[in-house]
Amino acid sequence: MERTFSRIAAIIFTTSVLIGVVGCAKPKVQLQVSRDRVQQGEDVRVSWTSKDAKQVQINGQTVEKTGAQVFTPDNTTTYMAVAKRGNKEARDSKVVAVTPRPAKPNIRISADQEAITRGQSTTLRWTSNNADRVTISDLGTVPSSGSRVVSPSTSTTYNASATGPGGTDSASARVTVTEETPAGDRPRTNTTPPNPTIAALFNQWVLPIYFDLDKADLQPQSKDKLRRAAEWLTQGPNRSIVFRIEGNCDPRGTEEYNIGLGERRAQAAKEFLASSGVEASRIQTVSYGKERAAGTGEGSPDARPSWAHDRRDDFVYVSGGTPRNP
Amino acid sequence: MKIRAASILATLLALILPGVCLVSTRQETQPPQEDLRKQIGTIIVTPGNGPNLAVADFIARSAGLEAATGTFNQVLWADLDFAAVSGLVGKSLYPKTLIPDPASLKFDDWSADPVKADYVAFGNLQNTAGAISADTYLFDVKTKQQIIASRHTGDPRRIAHEFADEIVKLLTGRDGIATSKMGYVSGDSIKLMDYDGFNQRNFASDGPIVRFPQFSPDGRYLAYVSFKTGIPNIVVRSAEGGLIGGTSFNSTTTSPTISSSGQLAFSSAVGGGGSMEIYVSNLDGSNARRLTRTTKGINISPRWNPQTGREIAFISDRAGTPQVYVMDSSGGNQRPLIARGGQADSPSWSPDGRYVAFTYGGAGSFQVFIADVASGQLIQITSQGRNESPTWSPDSRHVAFQSTRSGRWEVWQAHIDGTGQRQLTRGGARSPTWAK
Repeated sequence: MERTFSRIAAIIFTTSVLIGVVGCAKPKVQLQVSRDRVQQGEDVRVSWTSKDAKQVQINGQTVEKTGAQVFTPDNTTTYMAVAKRGNKEARDSKVVAVTPRPAKPNIRISADQEAITRGQSTTLRWTSNNADRVTISDLGTVPSSGSRVVSPSTSTTYNASATGPGGTDSASARVTVTEETPAGDRPRTNTTPPNPTIAALFNQWVLPIYFDLDKADLQPQSKDKLRRAAEWLTQGPNRSIVFRIEGNCDPRGTEEYNIGLGERRAQAAKEFLASSGVEASRIQTVSYGKERAAGTGEGSPDARPSWAHDRRDDFVYVSGGTPRNP
Repeated sequence: MKIRAASILATLLALILPGVCLVSTRQETQPPQEDLRKQIGTIIVTPGNGPNLAVADFIARSAGLEAATGTFNQVLWADLDFAAVSGLVGKSLYPKTLIPDPASLKFDDWSADPVKADYVAFGNLQNTAGAISADTYLFDVKTKQQIIASRHTGDPRRIAHEFADEIVKLLTGRDGIATSKMGYVSGDSIKLMDYDGFNQRNFASDGPIVRFPQFSPDGRYLAYVSFKTGIPNIVVRSAEGGLIGGTSFNSTTTSPTISSSGQLAFSSAVGGGGSMEIYVSNLDGSNARRLTRTTKGINISPRWNPQTGREIAFISDRAGTPQVYVMDSSGGNQRPLIARGGQADSPSWSPDGRYVAFTYGGAGSFQVFIADVASGQLIQITSQGRNESPTWSPDSRHVAFQSTRSGRWEVWQAHIDGTGQRQLTRGGARSPTWAK
């Protein structure tokens, strides 16, 4: 009797071990990349297939068991697929080497006074990055950053152009020249056009940046913009400027989580500016989540309303700086 | 003896071994859905599945009360229909004889075919000393017992709600929801309304933007987010509107929730490091203590378990996409409640602590789901349009949420099995919070 029982038990035991082994078959995974060598800013398509996996992760993020995703690596990156089933796992990885892209040049130019009367002068100021050669119309080739006193006799638009290995950028500043009013009839002396306020200058130098869907990572072009902003914000009297970064999201996500995502976007810009020399104490952050979202389709950051434009950090001047008076 | 011991051991191993594999893969296995459906099916009574209740039209006993009586009859019927604690027998089947009072009730007319009621509710409205009163009755027509004989005085809608709750209490032993209220966001104001969408009234509009209202479990306090200072922070008020306190941090602070013992929890970037973390504090915002610690993470939407007051559900993106997590209110034992990929937001714990409702989806398409906390089983309770931000009825049998199905965000309501969906607002509304 006991022997029969133990024999049955042994059969059950063996069967269950078999079930256990088969049920826990080791998963397999294979990962491919479309290119193993790209320039910064270029896309890489990573695709993977798996077998017998209960969970597949690419670089720690849970993904479909078989699928593909497009990445834009900033640096040389290893893409690692991990397939798990129970406590068994398989891995496959590929390395994508990223060569730095020559940074795109950028330039900003402004006139201290955008309107003068004939005979007066104003100062043009410009800053550029990543440029070998900077030219300004009427002035010719100039240093990459600097200032020049000009006294145009008629209204003039100064076109600045910066050229480097990464391309060309241009900007312009217009100086409007008006006739001197006759003596004895000077009703307009108290109404000379206002100087550009610090807030307006701030808005010229510190530009909105845009984000990928559900991401708070800075795009390469956003880093360029922030570097330029940091350069201006750390110049002379600008060092006393206090400002606010407002994070925003497109309308597709949920409301509460988007408050968090918008804050992460504002914090990402704050962190980058702080690492570029702008004191964190000068920077407030706030998230509007999707409060201001207006897009109904992806579009592009330049075309509003669009989701691409909705996913942004706005920069808002709060206080400080010294107005440039004549 | 040895053989027996060995065979017992082998049997035990045989039982345990296949389980090892099952346990290790359980998280990814689609849980069986029948059990939760069945469990919820016993909570919501469908016709033929519980006692039959007949609700005879109340009679106006004073001149000029026709309109008030009409309102009373409509509200009482709608309340008992949505309560879903009994089958409601259709009025077309009722005897023609009116029953303003117990003397006019002929039991056999109501217990026999075609009415076949177990209970009948009836009564009358009258003017007493310048106010409207309802004499309200509930009889068991099978045993011919009087169960309720009461008088309610006041606004016809209100006294109908009170009588509906009285019937629900008698039939189920539990408090009804007909006298409960809801807070919500409309434009840039926090508003309040009755649980059925009527009596909409302003509560607070102290900021260019006010969002995310949450009642305390006892309904005595309401916390919300105001952008008044330019930086979102928490405001806590009494249900009557008096200012209790709030936060005044210089970083984004959002998603308040109040525990049954009167503690506040919220999410804030105040701790630095670039992340949104969960904090608990006193009700007035003082003595804030951080509970989560992530690197550049989003931890948001905390909600106390109103039943125990010792656990907090929240949303975290620590493992990639935002998912529902649970932790002890000390911050310990942080663990995923639901981990299915996709994106989750706005969890809401049922007052009895058994379920967490939440928003779940992705790619601009979101629906309301309910998870059984003990088993992790899920059911989806919406499918038309986009549906988000669920909140529970005080009796844990219904949910309200915001939906786009009518063309813009409005507050809707449903039973927890997904039936009985009805629209409560028409002027644009979202983020409902339901309280006693």
